[in-house]
Amino acid sequence: MNIKKQFSEGLVTNNPVLVQQIGMCATMAITTSLFNGLGMGLSVLIILTCCNVVVSLIRKIIPEEIRLAIFVVVIAGFVTIVDLLLQAFIPALSAALGVFIPLIVVNCIIIGRAEAFCQKNTVGASFFDGVFQGLGYTVVLLIMSIVRELLGKGTFGGGLIDVSNGLRFTLDGSGAGIKIFSGEYGAKILTMPFGGFLTLGVLIAAMQYALKRSAKKKELAAKAEAEKKEVTE
Amino acid sequence: MLFNIISISLGAILINNFIFSQFLGCCPFLGCSNKTDTAFGMGVAVIFVMGMASAICWLIDTYILVPLGLAFLETLAFILIIAALVQLVEMFLKKSVPSLYSALGIYLPLITTNCAVLGVVLLNVQNHYNFIESVVYGITGGIGFLLAIVLFASVRERVQFADYPECFEGFPICLVSAALVALAFMGFSGMQVF
Amino acid sequence: MNKILKLTVVLFLICAVVAAVLGGVNEVTKGPIETQQREKTETAYKAVLPNADSFTELDRSSYADLKTIDKISAADNGAGHVVETTFSGAQGSITMAVGVDENYRCAGISIIKHSETSGLGEVAASASARGESFRSSFIGKDESISINDIDAITGATITSKAVTGAVAASIEAVKALG
Repeated sequence: MNIKKQFSEGLVTNNPVLVQQIGMCATMAITTSLFNGLGMGLSVLIILTCCNVVVSLIRKIIPEEIRLAIFVVVIAGFVTIVDLLLQAFIPALSAALGVFIPLIVVNCIIIGRAEAFCQKNTVGASFFDGVFQGLGYTVVLLIMSIVRELLGKGTFGGGLIDVSNGLRFTLDGSGAGIKIFSGEYGAKILTMPFGGFLTLGVLIAAMQYALKRSAKKKELAAKAEAEKKEVTE
Repeated sequence: MLFNIISISLGAILINNFIFSQFLGCCPFLGCSNKTDTAFGMGVAVIFVMGMASAICWLIDTYILVPLGLAFLETLAFILIIAALVQLVEMFLKKSVPSLYSALGIYLPLITTNCAVLGVVLLNVQNHYNFIESVVYGITGGIGFLLAIVLFASVRERVQFADYPECFEGFPICLVSAALVALAFMGFSGMQVF
Repeated sequence: MNKILKLTVVLFLICAVVAAVLGGVNEVTKGPIETQQREKTETAYKAVLPNADSFTELDRSSYADLKTIDKISAADNGAGHVVETTFSGAQGSITMAVGVDENYRCAGISIIKHSETSGLGEVAASASARGESFRSSFIGKDESISINDIDAITGATITSKAVTGAVAASIEAVKALG
């Protein structure tokens, strides 16, 4: 298991949302501004990495029968830590994500990686798995947020970037974002639940299209190779 | 009191439907909606567990966690309660109501990771609901889930015969149809109990 | 039997360790969370009742029969009261702070929490000029306020009406305190 392969798996070929199709609830619910998307993505990334490391550390001492219960306890622990820290130091994010922070506990990505990967792999590999799978999740959230925010409200970086007094990053979620076009002309429907389902659907379709095309290309290349061999023989 | 309960029920079933406006419980919603009867089984199991979880978690939160100043353990306690509850319900049904067990059996373990269940319990705490309101919110939230999943399963049965681009095969077409059903549910927004 | 005992002990130990760690984190974050919340309420209250300096929350028993009123706080310098009220808007419940001055007139409103439709009812709570003008149109009004007295938001009649009703109810609640 090398790092490069894990990287491409997490971000593209085995992306948690686009390919494994898990952890959808939060993906659709909170991606209405870049601030929310980035905050949620990074929270999951941190929790996933910590859980992966702890699970693979204790993988040899936990009894098989109750491993799921133990995973859940460990995950709930880390989620609560992140939740408390956010409430204390980035209250705007905690308010914006609301119930979806504690709900990371039942996000299938985390328990899925614990069960499928960390149980069988070393601490190092699990660490990188957590980082890359978390990055894959974050990237999807970012794409979703950017698309929905831009088309829905006509802004980029809402909550995170403030341009009224020169370019400035706001960690309290107060920035209005960069205005691309007036919000009046935005397709507001995209910031509502309808837009969540639709954007994710189209995104996964695009991913399937791309994966299929690259598979076809490979197939064609292999065919050409084989034909070439035949000719030379 | 009655007014409150009616407005909570209406909100949970239609206006703020768990799936179509709060995105809670999307995984089983998309996973178990292939056929109308499996969808119905899943929905009934969810109503059952959500009602029970709301009641038990409310009692534990109000009489144990909050008085002891352990409110920060809520998430941890709730998920353990839900997991244990699902196990107990499964064992109980297997022994005493085997007919119901065979109907709901396979869906029960899946419910532990249904975020609608943990979601409803957390929302009860967040909205400061009292005991009756919590239970009503849990049960009607489950009814909303049942309504959504059964409606959507019938939509999906029709979508199978539709002609759509190849790359939309599987999940994407599901999500796009879910988007359209969500659009229909938006029509309920603005409904109010005066 | 021995096995079950062992499993229980292991699970219990892990829970205990996690709970202990969480307890530690909670100790660290408790202070900042409290400060954040207090500051947030204080600034929100001052925004709706600019003449006040600090606030004292009133005892719930003095307005126990008013279900939509969450909290009433009195300004310590007698500038009036701030009412926190939760009522249903177009999409869900709205939580709002209403400042009521010593002459029982609205001194300002601020929407704390809502789930109104983005671009329609949401404007009522937004920081935009339109939202500002909507909210400031309540200033100086008394409990007889109706939707015709305010700068209602086009396309968000339900939200505008709900907010107006809640402002009137808040002023009445403060009046009832005497």
